[in-house]
Amino acid sequence: MTTLPASTGASAPAEAGPPTGWRRHRSTLLIVGALLAALALVVLTQGPVTRAADLDPDNPGPDGAQAVARVLVDQGVDVEVVRSASALASTVLDPDTLVVVTSSSDLGTSTTTALLDQVAGARAGLVVVDPGTRLLDALGIDGDPSRVEVGDGVLGACDDTAYDDLVLVVDSADAVPLAGCFANVLAAQGGIGGDLTLLGAGELLSNDQVLRGDNAAIALRLLGGRERLVWYVASPDDLVADDGVSITSLLPDWIFPGLAIVLLSTVLLVLWRGRRLGPLASEPLPVVVKAIETTRSRGRLYRRSGDLAHAAEALRTATRSRAGARLRLGAHAADAVVVGAVARHLGRPEPEIAALIGAEAHAPGSDRDLIVLANDLAALEEEVRRS
Amino acid sequence: MALTGRVPLLGLLGLVAVVLRPSASTVWCWLLLVAILVAVDVLLAPRPRDLDVVRRPTGSVRTGETAQSVLVVENTRRRRVRGVLRDAWQPSAGATDNRHPLRLAGHGRALLETPLRPSRRGDLRAVGVTVRLLGPLGLAARQRTVQVGGTVRSLPPFASRKHLPSRLARLRDLDGRAAVRVRGQGTEFDSLREYVRGDDVRSIDWRASSRTSSVVVRTWQPERDRRVVLVLDTSRTSAGRVDDVPRLDSAMDAALLLAALASRAGDRIDFVAGDRRVRARLRSSGARDLTGRLQDVMAEIDPVIAEADWTALVGAVQGLGRQRALVVLLTPVEPASIEEGLLAVLPTLTRHHRVVIASVKDPELERMAAQRATIAEAYDAAAAERELRRRTRTAEVLGRLGVSVIDADAERLPPALADHYLALKAQGLL
Repeated sequence: MTTLPASTGASAPAEAGPPTGWRRHRSTLLIVGALLAALALVVLTQGPVTRAADLDPDNPGPDGAQAVARVLVDQGVDVEVVRSASALASTVLDPDTLVVVTSSSDLGTSTTTALLDQVAGARAGLVVVDPGTRLLDALGIDGDPSRVEVGDGVLGACDDTAYDDLVLVVDSADAVPLAGCFANVLAAQGGIGGDLTLLGAGELLSNDQVLRGDNAAIALRLLGGRERLVWYVASPDDLVADDGVSITSLLPDWIFPGLAIVLLSTVLLVLWRGRRLGPLASEPLPVVVKAIETTRSRGRLYRRSGDLAHAAEALRTATRSRAGARLRLGAHAADAVVVGAVARHLGRPEPEIAALIGAEAHAPGSDRDLIVLANDLAALEEEVRRS
Repeated sequence: MALTGRVPLLGLLGLVAVVLRPSASTVWCWLLLVAILVAVDVLLAPRPRDLDVVRRPTGSVRTGETAQSVLVVENTRRRRVRGVLRDAWQPSAGATDNRHPLRLAGHGRALLETPLRPSRRGDLRAVGVTVRLLGPLGLAARQRTVQVGGTVRSLPPFASRKHLPSRLARLRDLDGRAAVRVRGQGTEFDSLREYVRGDDVRSIDWRASSRTSSVVVRTWQPERDRRVVLVLDTSRTSAGRVDDVPRLDSAMDAALLLAALASRAGDRIDFVAGDRRVRARLRSSGARDLTGRLQDVMAEIDPVIAEADWTALVGAVQGLGRQRALVVLLTPVEPASIEEGLLAVLPTLTRHHRVVIASVKDPELERMAAQRATIAEAYDAAAAERELRRRTRTAEVLGRLGVSVIDADAERLPPALADHYLALKAQGLL
């Protein structure tokens, strides 16, 4: 605009014209469009769904267990991944099925009970990876897991010939409180319908460490024993309310007596503040009568009876007498005289004035007419006073 | 018995106990401890009846101004006492700052002053004196309320006294005015003085002038020792409120201004107030400070919801003496009550006296007549117009009987009444 000559400056806005919708919102539309494009790009270039949970059969990362799962599938095992308690409950188990539970720290008490019942009913096998103290309690096993130094590897060295001469090499492992292989890192309990096997070294299944020592062999022998493998990845979404730690166990034990003390002090506070210093002082109240009250009630009475004629008559009489007094006609001038005088004074036709303030004027037909009449009378009075 | 703020604090201290020994029994033990301490403290607290409380007379004060009520508190025992004392008054007495800390040595005395600021006319009463004396631990106190009688007389505010100086100045103007223009039945010869320019030539006393070298005029003073009778109507119509002030109070204001003015003018003032019967009567036979006494009498008068018995009131006026007087009836011009009561007895009054009716007008009535925007307002306006018309007619009827009607709103009534009195005085019509 600044480059335009001064002479055309005045017409410049007319040339530009009013900004259209497109021009005004151009930048906004461009930004929104770019955002949408970026979002579409992200969505479209996203690969197959991967999971981030440790030892998840779909997790290709170092902590995942995709390698083991793929190898098991290649070996002809039917691997079925289950990610929720409800999906697990709807899965049909049979004696040729092995259920393996990873992310077991997210396994709630109620889910554990349901899982045990389901496995026992179907006489299936169950492998629990890295059970914690609470889960051991839920499984009915006394004792806590304890840390084991693996070092350069630990030999199977147990009754089970399948693992006897294998070497486990992991970074860290826990021994479960049962007698078993690899210094009790892998132990089984035959007490329930299927076998309950506990594995304290979940790392051996991870993509990162499965190739160390004889880990791959241990994993395949552990999980590939039956035709079907149900891989249950426990999820925190399955925890129900009572699976959590109860709030009471987290609080210090003096909290309830303390609350009682606070409550007690509150009651004492109320007693302290509630005691008045002597009785209330009362006032012998006088009679309150508004002087205007009777007139107001009379107005309401007129309204209730809908006496338009009476009300109009009162208003007309008042205007007539005031106008008469203003025109110095005396207090007892006849109505017709007042009407004539007002008409002459204002220079308005007499019938018009007579229709307004005359004694024989028609009564208003409706409430609306009464309001109009009342205001016309006020205006007339004002006119007489002004002129 | 009463607790102090230390008790809940002591209760909270129980938190330490439960932290050290967390169990329910600790709570119960703590509660017991607090209860025992409080009980011991109450038992050891001094007894309020050992204090001797006497009130000094309070006297009277104009409504809206401040007075002090003094209590003398004496400790009759050797023990020192501390606590608090509340001097309760009825709310309209305005005793806001009425809690006094008490700290008395053995046989000690203290003067406690309660400021009072009455907001209502009349005798306002003290309700009771409450004493709360603390125990030695300061946990609990004994409390007792005793009746220590006391009243403060709240006089009518006499707000119209601001008009008094200007009216007194006009009264002085009447004094010594040159004769002819004001000479009437009641003017009295005062003195002779030299003619000054502006004096009416008709007032020159030629006989006196002939004896001196200068021209002499006669001067006159307004009549003195006339009688003014104020009749205050305390019936139902006076109870009506105009802008939230009872008509009675506005009428009192007007009566006080007229009384103050008339007493300075050397007239005698009699006062009668009543409704069905005469409630108050005051004769100013040579009394000084008339307005003070009048205020004192008026303080006790309250409106009564009853029709006025004008026969009795007029009888009371006649009973005050047969000398001609200016009778001022302070009553609202309410058509109904005037027509039914007053009109019948007015002729007996007008035969002997000059009668003026001073009425408190309600400005609301005219506002109501002017508002006509909605249907309810239109009907109200009709009712108001009708009422106004009836009032005008009543005033006409009264005027035909020789009665002057002064109908003004509360603010303007006192000066209007005073001006009317001055006009009558100037014309010598009293």
